[in-house]
Amino acid sequence: MEKSFVLAKSDFQKFLQRLSTFGAVHAPVRVSDQSFAYKPVDLEKEIAFEALRTILPPKKFLYPQREALFSYDESGIVSEPQINEPLVIFGSHPCDLAGMKVLDYIFTAPPGDSLYIERRKHILIVGLSCLPDKYCFCESMGTDSVDDGYDVFLTDIDDHFFVEVATPKAAELLSDNDFLIPASEPYKQAFKDFWHDRKALFTNRFETSNLPALLDLEADNPVWEELGNRCLSCGNCTFVCPTCYCFDIVDIAQLNGKGQREREWDSCQFTDFAKVAGNNNFRPGPIDRLKFWYRHKLHGFQDAYQLPTCVGCGRCTVSCPAEIDDIVGVVVRLEGSRQRDSIYAKEEKN
Amino acid sequence: MSEDNHLFRFTVESNAFANCMPGQFLEVWIPGVGECPISVCSDSADGIIELCVHRIGRVTDALFKMEEGDWLGLRGPYGHGYPVDEMEGRNVILIAGGLGIAPIRALLQYILNRRERFGELIVVYGMRHSLDLLFRHEMKDLYRRSDLRLFIGAEEINGPEVPPIHTQLGRVTDMLRLAQLDASYCAAICGPPVMYPFVVNELKLKGLTEQKTFLSLERHMKCAIGKCGHCFVGGVYTCQAGPVFSLADLRFVPEVVECANC
Repeated sequence: MEKSFVLAKSDFQKFLQRLSTFGAVHAPVRVSDQSFAYKPVDLEKEIAFEALRTILPPKKFLYPQREALFSYDESGIVSEPQINEPLVIFGSHPCDLAGMKVLDYIFTAPPGDSLYIERRKHILIVGLSCLPDKYCFCESMGTDSVDDGYDVFLTDIDDHFFVEVATPKAAELLSDNDFLIPASEPYKQAFKDFWHDRKALFTNRFETSNLPALLDLEADNPVWEELGNRCLSCGNCTFVCPTCYCFDIVDIAQLNGKGQREREWDSCQFTDFAKVAGNNNFRPGPIDRLKFWYRHKLHGFQDAYQLPTCVGCGRCTVSCPAEIDDIVGVVVRLEGSRQRDSIYAKEEKN
Repeated sequence: MSEDNHLFRFTVESNAFANCMPGQFLEVWIPGVGECPISVCSDSADGIIELCVHRIGRVTDALFKMEEGDWLGLRGPYGHGYPVDEMEGRNVILIAGGLGIAPIRALLQYILNRRERFGELIVVYGMRHSLDLLFRHEMKDLYRRSDLRLFIGAEEINGPEVPPIHTQLGRVTDMLRLAQLDASYCAAICGPPVMYPFVVNELKLKGLTEQKTFLSLERHMKCAIGKCGHCFVGGVYTCQAGPVFSLADLRFVPEVVECANC
């Protein structure tokens, strides 16, 4: 089968119907004037193609906010969850695709997380191109385009989508159809032009080459205190982050001796996150916790997995009620006067 | 032992914990309550595993209310323990503060079971209050041994406990000064986070190298398989890379021992 096709936008509903033969299609849907969320969709008109960042990233499908690990009764562990519900995630942009790759990396690293791995097998990912707004900085993080991590990728070229079919799973699903036409030269050129021109649209950017060193050098920079003092410890930044993966494990017990062991998203911004026995807390205040988060996103992960975990989606920046999760702004401030003159000051004027 | 500390002895039917090393930990799960990491307190032998638990939180409190024959979940062993292979053939000092005696006891048993493989042995055991002394009878026996030197110290000494045991007034660091250490020793440490900076400093003064100083980090490992993020320090998961680290490995890691009691 060919790899590259074009899909006329007028044929999109047919494409959507074909996707739904794999499993329930979830796509960004407008839920308020300015926010979008992944919801199940049947019709093309339900999908918000213009959505840049959904409130929660598609990690909620790979790694649900709360899920059962197993259930038990008085005799012991009685059942483990069966995961076999197929699902299509439609409309994830490159930053979110990169985010899912980070999650894949973490949860499959030995010893693998069996629940995650099982769930991932039943998910088909359809990526979608986008144009950046003033919060997007994926270009700086190197995640403005991805070469893998999706089954199908659609690039919007005027009245067509340029369709890349990347996996055997997707090729099988899309075989024998009357809506995908092998891409001819003008469409290929339009595809290349789109990605070339898109580069120039990024206004939010910073220097990433020395991030770990910078975070070490500026561990005592007053910016941490300034931002930490404004932090509400609400955990928004971590829940909306496509790569934040921390969880807590809890027992949900019933009075009859039965119960379920569940895991749920946790946040390093919560007071108790680093607390150990005897009320000792390694990160007692918001300053420590905020610094930890920045460090984990931009430095710590580099040590553990050799990849940065910030994918530049801008969700933390737009969802922080205290307006302190401005990764670009903070890094530029840490980098010091020369950078600040060139970028930060300019933005402030804007 | 004492009111809030108890040595739990589990008979393990499978040989899942047969290769458990001193310094490693298990996750103890009490259905309906939760799970917590507890370090192994005995040298693994005969399908019996001992955990010395302090009653301090929800899970440990529930554990204290259980009776013989009740069931609970144990998984593990997890993490890297004290590097016994590296310590072999060398003089060894074991340093425990408070409940830190639990993993140190496992290491001590390991060494005593293979005594000929190790050089001189010093055990330093410090605590807040002399009534907090754990394993009193075992300590009494240790004092009688000629192949190790034992120092027990408490910051406060009160009333005669039975059996009486020689306890000096002072902190762990004071015991270290008495112990006539030299650079030939390697050290294994476990205690409350607040103890580490002082102990480490004292060991450095005695000439012990960072490569031969091993300490166990206290973190709340919830998943123990490097996923949940709770024990992340610097670039590593304590549950996988630790909980025992050499001081050299922790040199550039922030937040290792600083903590606040809140």
